[in-house]
Amino acid sequence: MSSENSHSSPASVRAAAHAPHDDGAVHVHIASSRFYWGVFAALIVLTVLTVRVSYYDFGQANIVIAVLIATLKASLVAAFFMHLRHDKLFNTVAFLGSFLFLAIFILLTYDDLGTRGKPESYTGILVDPRSGQAAPGGEPATSATTNDLAGEPPREGARAGAKE
Amino acid sequence: MANVTESMEAHGHEHAAHPDFLQHHFDTPDQQFNASKLGMWVFIATEILMFGGLFCAYAIWRGLEPRVFDDAHHFLNKILGATNTVVLLFSSLTAALAVRSAQVGKRNATTLFLAITIACACVFLVVKYFEYSHKIHLGLLPGHCFGHPGFSAAIQNGEEVGTCLRMHADSAPVMPQWVKAVDEGGKAQLLSPRANMFFGLYFVMTGLHGLHVVVGMSVLLWVLVKNVQGRFTPQYFTPVDLGALYWHLVDLVWIYLFPLLYLVGKPE
Repeated sequence: MSSENSHSSPASVRAAAHAPHDDGAVHVHIASSRFYWGVFAALIVLTVLTVRVSYYDFGQANIVIAVLIATLKASLVAAFFMHLRHDKLFNTVAFLGSFLFLAIFILLTYDDLGTRGKPESYTGILVDPRSGQAAPGGEPATSATTNDLAGEPPREGARAGAKE
Repeated sequence: MANVTESMEAHGHEHAAHPDFLQHHFDTPDQQFNASKLGMWVFIATEILMFGGLFCAYAIWRGLEPRVFDDAHHFLNKILGATNTVVLLFSSLTAALAVRSAQVGKRNATTLFLAITIACACVFLVVKYFEYSHKIHLGLLPGHCFGHPGFSAAIQNGEEVGTCLRMHADSAPVMPQWVKAVDEGGKAQLLSPRANMFFGLYFVMTGLHGLHVVVGMSVLLWVLVKNVQGRFTPQYFTPVDLGALYWHLVDLVWIYLFPLLYLVGKPE
């Protein structure tokens, strides 16, 4: 971090830009070239690490390790190459906000997939595992209605391999 | 700087007091710069949401078919993927250095760094071309051609048939087939037709990313031309900054695509 501080526009100057005698000119943090090369070196080290690690099998942890290293790399790029570290905080909020909404999107999609084919606990309505439909306004799950839902001949691996 | 101060006192409505680059509706260069940056970051957020849909699809299909994904990912070449990662990271470095040069008013250095960034983008696309064509020749192009070695004569059921597209024209039922091919580890593999889905995601995700590479190159080329024309100063380098931000986004997406497509899975 020491090389990061060797910039021509220290924090005090930046703070002055927002003080009452703001001259309206553009004041930005200018990191040294050496600092950018340092960030690049760290990114290369992490790339080599993620490739090396992929030759070992950690089972379920494979994907966790890969995503963790990728997130570390992405943070370096966003914080320093994209200047978020010295930028207006609101830009970071806008950037990270997109991940919040992405998480909501992915969680709801998983919720949909994970609850297909199970009777809904409150109304007892069955969601048809084959079509994924039938929940709204459907009948309580009885043998008669499950037969109705099976109007279509069962297809092999319909849920997972709908393409074939 | 005196101009700027004057314009502030006049509430930004005196055209004569404005620097050339300052739009009428902004009071100060600082305000204009920050507004432009915020706009770029909001745009970047929408880009993340667009790619996010594909990452969500990837997560779900991987969860449903872990073994198929595992087998299929051995057909991606780790070394070429890692090469492209290094190329993109380096281009991100030069893009950041181009912004820095613009900030300190070194015009020629900015031109040089932008040119290197664009050259790296070309290298990336060339490597991608070799990867794509190899997969297509193995018959890994998703869709009804899957499992039919593409764009060349294929042997099927003992008789020679034309390209997959010609087979389709003959109105014979064409379905995704099992793929018999040698993967990147040199191992002969029998790949399920369901690996179709993996390669569908592979081609769409890297394809959309590749499209961003092409757009990013065009943006940086435009910035380079403006820079050569001497349009940028330490008080006005917004296009260089925003062009570089777009380029870093391209890098960010690849940082996730590379491990998720090329690396995750059981090693052979």
